[in-house]
Amino acid sequence: MLDHDISARAAKRLLSAPDLADDRPGPDGWTRRRFLQAVGLGVAGGAALGTLGDDLLSGLTGDVREAFAGTPVGPNDGILVTIMLYGGNDGLNTVVPYTDGAYYTQRGAVTIPAASVLPLNGQLGLHPNLPYTKSLYDAGQLAIVQGVGYPNPDLSHFTSMAIWMNARFGNVSPTSGWIGRWLDGMPASMADTAAATIDSSVALHLLGEQRRAVAVSPWGDMFGSGTSATDTRMYSGMRAMAASGAGRGQWHDMFASTLRTQLEVARDVAPVFVDRLPDNGLARRLTLAARLINANIGMRVVDVSLDGFDDHEGQLPSHAALMAELDAGLRAFYDTLLPQWRDRVTLMTMSEFGRTSYSNESGGTDHGTASDLFVIGPKVRGGLYGQQPSLAGLGRWDRMAHHVDFRSVIGTVVDSWMGGGGSTIVNGSFENLGLFTTGPGGGAQPDPGGAVVLPPSTPSGFVALTPTRVLDTRDGTGGRSTPFGPQESWKFPVAGRFGIPVDAVAVAVNLTAVGASAATYVTVHPFAETRPLSSNLNPVPGQATPNLVVARVGMDGAVMLYNNSGTVHLVADVVGYFIPGSDVGLLALDPARLLDTRDGTGDRLGALGAGESIDVQVSGMGGVPDDVQAVVLNVTATEPTAASYLTVWPTGDGRPVASSVNMNPGQTVPNLIIARVGEDGRVSVYNNAGSTHVVIDVLGAFTPGATARYVPVSPARALDTREGVGTTRTRLGSAHLPLGLAGRCGVPATDVSAVLLNVTVVSPSTGTYVTVFPSGRNRPLASNLNATAGQVVPNMVLARLGPDGGATFYNNSGDLDLVADVMGYFTA
Amino acid sequence: MASAVDIQHLLRRTEFVARPARVAELTPLTLAQAVDNVLDFTPNGTIQVPAALQVHDPANGWKQHDQSIAWWIGNMVNLPRPMQEKMTLFWHGHFTSSRESIYRVDLMMRQNQLYRDLALGNFLTLTQRMAIEPVMLVYLSNANNRKGSPNQNFARELMELFTLGVGNYTEDDVVAAARAWTGHNADWPAYEYRFVASRHDTGNKTFFGTTKNWDGPDIINEILRDNPAKRLIAARYITKKLWSFFAYPGGPTSVINELADVFLANNLELRPLLRALLTHPEFYSTAARQGLVRTPVEYAVAIGVHTGFPTADMGMSWLGDRMGQELFNPPNVAGWKPNAAWLNTSALSARAQLARSVTWALRRNDGFGFLNSMTVDAAIDHVATYFGITSLSAPTRAALASAQTAERSAQRWASWWAPTNLLTMMMLTPEFHMA
Repeated sequence: MLDHDISARAAKRLLSAPDLADDRPGPDGWTRRRFLQAVGLGVAGGAALGTLGDDLLSGLTGDVREAFAGTPVGPNDGILVTIMLYGGNDGLNTVVPYTDGAYYTQRGAVTIPAASVLPLNGQLGLHPNLPYTKSLYDAGQLAIVQGVGYPNPDLSHFTSMAIWMNARFGNVSPTSGWIGRWLDGMPASMADTAAATIDSSVALHLLGEQRRAVAVSPWGDMFGSGTSATDTRMYSGMRAMAASGAGRGQWHDMFASTLRTQLEVARDVAPVFVDRLPDNGLARRLTLAARLINANIGMRVVDVSLDGFDDHEGQLPSHAALMAELDAGLRAFYDTLLPQWRDRVTLMTMSEFGRTSYSNESGGTDHGTASDLFVIGPKVRGGLYGQQPSLAGLGRWDRMAHHVDFRSVIGTVVDSWMGGGGSTIVNGSFENLGLFTTGPGGGAQPDPGGAVVLPPSTPSGFVALTPTRVLDTRDGTGGRSTPFGPQESWKFPVAGRFGIPVDAVAVAVNLTAVGASAATYVTVHPFAETRPLSSNLNPVPGQATPNLVVARVGMDGAVMLYNNSGTVHLVADVVGYFIPGSDVGLLALDPARLLDTRDGTGDRLGALGAGESIDVQVSGMGGVPDDVQAVVLNVTATEPTAASYLTVWPTGDGRPVASSVNMNPGQTVPNLIIARVGEDGRVSVYNNAGSTHVVIDVLGAFTPGATARYVPVSPARALDTREGVGTTRTRLGSAHLPLGLAGRCGVPATDVSAVLLNVTVVSPSTGTYVTVFPSGRNRPLASNLNATAGQVVPNMVLARLGPDGGATFYNNSGDLDLVADVMGYFTA
Repeated sequence: MASAVDIQHLLRRTEFVARPARVAELTPLTLAQAVDNVLDFTPNGTIQVPAALQVHDPANGWKQHDQSIAWWIGNMVNLPRPMQEKMTLFWHGHFTSSRESIYRVDLMMRQNQLYRDLALGNFLTLTQRMAIEPVMLVYLSNANNRKGSPNQNFARELMELFTLGVGNYTEDDVVAAARAWTGHNADWPAYEYRFVASRHDTGNKTFFGTTKNWDGPDIINEILRDNPAKRLIAARYITKKLWSFFAYPGGPTSVINELADVFLANNLELRPLLRALLTHPEFYSTAARQGLVRTPVEYAVAIGVHTGFPTADMGMSWLGDRMGQELFNPPNVAGWKPNAAWLNTSALSARAQLARSVTWALRRNDGFGFLNSMTVDAAIDHVATYFGITSLSAPTRAALASAQTAERSAQRWASWWAPTNLLTMMMLTPEFHMA
C-alpha cells in the first residue's frame, strides 16, 4: 500500500519554488511578501516607541528570562545536513562515466563531453560545474555512493519521494520519515530544537510519529523573531501562559508549552538572519544551515533543498545551473561554518530517483531509477562506494539497476554519525557501508561492510625487497597459526609492517597455498571492498601452489585473504611494494629468454640438482638496463623428478625461506614473479629436491628511468568464457582470442602500457598451455600458463597492450575456459 | 432546560463556535431538543458549490483550490446549521482524497458535495457512493484496477481505514476484494465512473470465507450489510471514529459499543447515531470538555465567526498547510490526526501569523483603541468575550494582565501597542485553541 498523497504533499511543497509561494494571495488580500514587510515595519515602529525595555521584563509574572530552549550540541553528537535534490537528479551527468561508450550512444546530445569532466579516475568524472565538490573529493572528504536505489522502483515523483523520505524496509505506510523517527527517539527536552528544515513547511522525512522538525523559513519570518521592546513584552507574556498548569487538561497545557517553545526557537534562530545572506538559492539556505550550527542551539539535523531537477527537456543548461548552485552552496556552507564545527558536520545529498540512460527527443531525460549521492565531511571516508550501474544492453525503456539500497546509506549515517538505532529507523537490517572513518566524537567506526569501492590510487613506482616471509599459517609468522577454514575471510594488515610503508598502494607477494584439504580457491582483495569473483590461487590437495599476487592495499592498510572450501595453509613472501613516492617505473619488454637449462641458454645446460643454486645474468640481457632494480620474470619448472620448489632471489643476499615455483614430478609449472636484482645484475635460482629444468623469461624491468607507474584497481573481471564476459560464451579451442582492455575494468582508454592480469585456465580438455601477448604482434614461444586436463590453474600475467589497447590469448590444444581479472595497470 | 455550559460545549463541537445567539436559542430547550436542533439541516436550504468551482479551469488551478477552501470555511462560518459542514469535514478526513492525485477542483468539489448531501445519511449508501466518485477512483487507484493486474490500493483502505480497521481482514481478503473491484474504472479525461466489463475479473474469489464471483459493490454490502460479524465491527469502528472526532480520542469501549448498537438498530443511519452520541453523558464529561484541540480549520472558523475577518483573506490554503491542515490536501489516506499533531512549533508559528494579520485588520482606524480607557482586567474581559472565551484560566489571565500592564506602563501616552498585543495574545491563548 503506497500512500500517494503524503508523498504528493511533500512533493508539492518542495517542488514548488518558495518565491512563488511568497506571492500567493495571503491574508487581507496582501501577498505574503507584502505582509511580511508590514510585520517587519511594525516591529521597527515598536522599537522606536519602546523605551523602558529590559527593565520591565524582569517585572513580568512568569518571565524568568530563562536560558534559550536550545540545548547545546554535546561533544560526541554528530550533526547532519541533508540536501534534498527534488525532481530526480541525473546521476549520470553528475558523476559521469566518461569512458563508457554506451553513455554517449544512449544519451546522444545530453552528455558531458569526456574532455570537460573533472576526472575522479579513469572512468568517472564529476560534472564540470562541481569544482569545489571535486576539491572535497581530492581531500578525501567526499564519499560518492553509486547505483543507489530500491527494489521495484516507482517512477512517480511522489511515490518515490515518499519511499525515500519514509526509508523503512517492508510494505509499510509512509506516515513518518526517517529523521522524524530519529527525533522520536530524542529526549523531549532536546527534540524541539534538534532538527530544522530551512523551508516554510516540514517534509515527510522530517515528520516523526510524535515529533517533527522545526521549519525555519529562509526569509526569517518566524513568529517570535521580533526584537523590539513591545514584541519582547508580548512574547514574554505569551511564554508566561505556560508558567503553570492551568487545570484545563493536558492539551491546554501542551498548547501553552508548545507556544513557549515556538517563541524560544524563533528567538534562537533570529540571530542567523541578522547578517547579510545570499539573496536566494541553495547558498542562502546552506549559509543559514551553517549559521544555525554555529549558533549552537542544539540543531543536530538541518534540512535544505534544491528544486528543479526534473529535466524532461532542455536538460543540459538547466542541470548545469543546478550543479553550479549545488557547488556554490557547499562552498558557502564551509565558508560560513566555524572551524570548531567542521569536524562535527556531515552533509548528504538525496534525490528520489535518477534519470533514464537514454535521452528523449526534447533534449531531456525521463524518470529513472538508480542514481548517485554524496556524503561529505572531514570524518567521511572519501572515495567511491557501490557501483556505477551498467548501461550495457539497456534498451530505450530500460532503467538502470541499483546496487546499493538507499536505506543502507541512511542506516549507516544514523548508526555511524547520529548515535545509532539505524536498524530500528529503517525497520530492518542493512549493510553498514563504512562511510565514516570515525564517529563525531572520534570513536572508531565499525569496519565497512564490504560495499566500499576505494578511491583511485595514485600512480606509483616500485620498491623491490628481498623476498621476506610475512605470513606462514603453519608456524604463526604474520600473526596466525591456524589454517584457513571454509569460506573464511581474514584481514591481514600489511602497510606499516614488514618494511612496507603506510602509504604503499599495493604489495607484491608470492602467495603459496600448502596442505589444502580440498580443491579450493583463494582470493586476495583490498580490505573493505566487496570480495571480487577472481581467484588468485586454486590449490588442490597434495600440492603446494604458488602465485604472484600484486594486491591493492585496502582500508586500514590491509588486504583480505579468503579461502573458499576445506582448510588450507597460506604462506606469503613479500617481494616489493608500490608507492607514490618511488621513481622506479616499469620498462615493459618483449619477452626474452634469460635461461633455459634444456638448451644452454643463460650458460647453463642441464637440470638443476637437489639443493643446487645457479646465478642468472639479468642486467644487460634482453633489453634490461644496467640500472635495473627488479625484474618481472616468468619462471617455469619443467621435467621435475620430485616434488620440489624453486626459489629466486637477489644474488648476494642470503637465500630466503620462500618459494617461487612449486612443482610435482613430471609437471610443467610456470609462475610470474617479481625479483629484486642482486650483485652484478644477477638473480639466483635454487632447486630444493630432485632435479628439474628451469626456463626463465624476462618480461619487464623496474628502473629509475622508466616512466610507467603502477595503478592498482579493484579486481575486475575482464574475461570469462563461461559467462560471456568480454567475449562470447564458448570454450576457447586451439585458437587466438583477442581481448580489449583499454577503457575497461578500471583501465583508462589511453596512456596504458601494460595491464596486470590474473589469468585462470579452467578445465582444459587436454594438457595445454596459454600464451598472452600484445594484440597486433606475433605470438612469442613463451607460455604463461600450463595446465593438465581438468585442472584449474591461475597465474599472474603482465599483458602488454597492442596499439588497439588489447591483448591476445592463445590456447595451444584442446579447448578450455579462460578467466582474466584486471588487478592494475601501468601507465605509459 | 439545558445548562449554558453544556450548550456551549455542544455548539463548539458541532458548530465550531458557540455563537452567543445560538447559545441563547438552545439553552431554554432540553438537551435532546437542542441536539435535534443542531442536527436539523433544513435551515441551511440547498447548498450549492459556486459555479466557478464546478468547472475545470487548469489555468487557474491554484486559484480555484484557494477559493474552494475559502468557500468551504465560509460555509462553516456563515451557515445557520454548521453541523452539516462539520460532518462534511469529518467525511473529508475519513473517506479522504487529495487534490494532488488529480488536480481537479471541480471533481474535488463534487466529492465534497456528496459528503455534504449525505452528511448524516445512511453509512452504507454513502460508502457505495464514495467508492465510485472520480477523485476516489483516482486517489486509491481503482481507476487503474483491471483484471490480470489488480490494484489493491482501494480494497485495502476500504477495510483498513474506511470500515473495519487493521486485524479484521486477511491479506487474502484484500486480494479478493481488489479483484472484485477490477473494471470499476474511470473514463479519461472526463474521469466519469465507468464499469468496463472487459477489465472486470469474473472469476471466483474467496472473500471472508465465501467463494463466488464477487463484484466490487458486493464487497461493501458484505461488510456493512450481509455479514453480521463484520457489520458489528464496522459499526463500532465508525462510531469510535465519530466519538474521537466530536468528544475525545478513543473513548470507553462500553460507550462505543452502546452507541454502535444504536447505529446498528437504525440500519447504519447516521443521524440517530449522532443524536445518541451528542446526548450521551460521557460527551459532557471533563475528559470530553478538555479532550480536543481546535484544528487549524476550526481555529480559522472561530476567527471568522468572532471577528468577521473574511475567509477569502485568511490564506488558509498556504497558511493552512503551514498549520498542518490544508483542506483537500490531507497528509495521507488516514486523514488528519488530532491534538498533538497540531501542536508543534512551526504549526503554531503559522497560527500566530494568522492572529497577527487579523490583529492588523482589527486595529485599522484605531479599532479597539477604547481598550486603553478601560482597566486592564476589564480590557482583558472584553477581548476574551469578544473571542467567545467564557472563562480564562488563572495562568492565562495572569500572563495577559502582566503583559498588558507592562505595555501600558512602557508609554507615557496611551499605547498603540497595548490593545494590539492584547488582541494577538488573546487569539493565541490556549483557551482559544481548545475545541
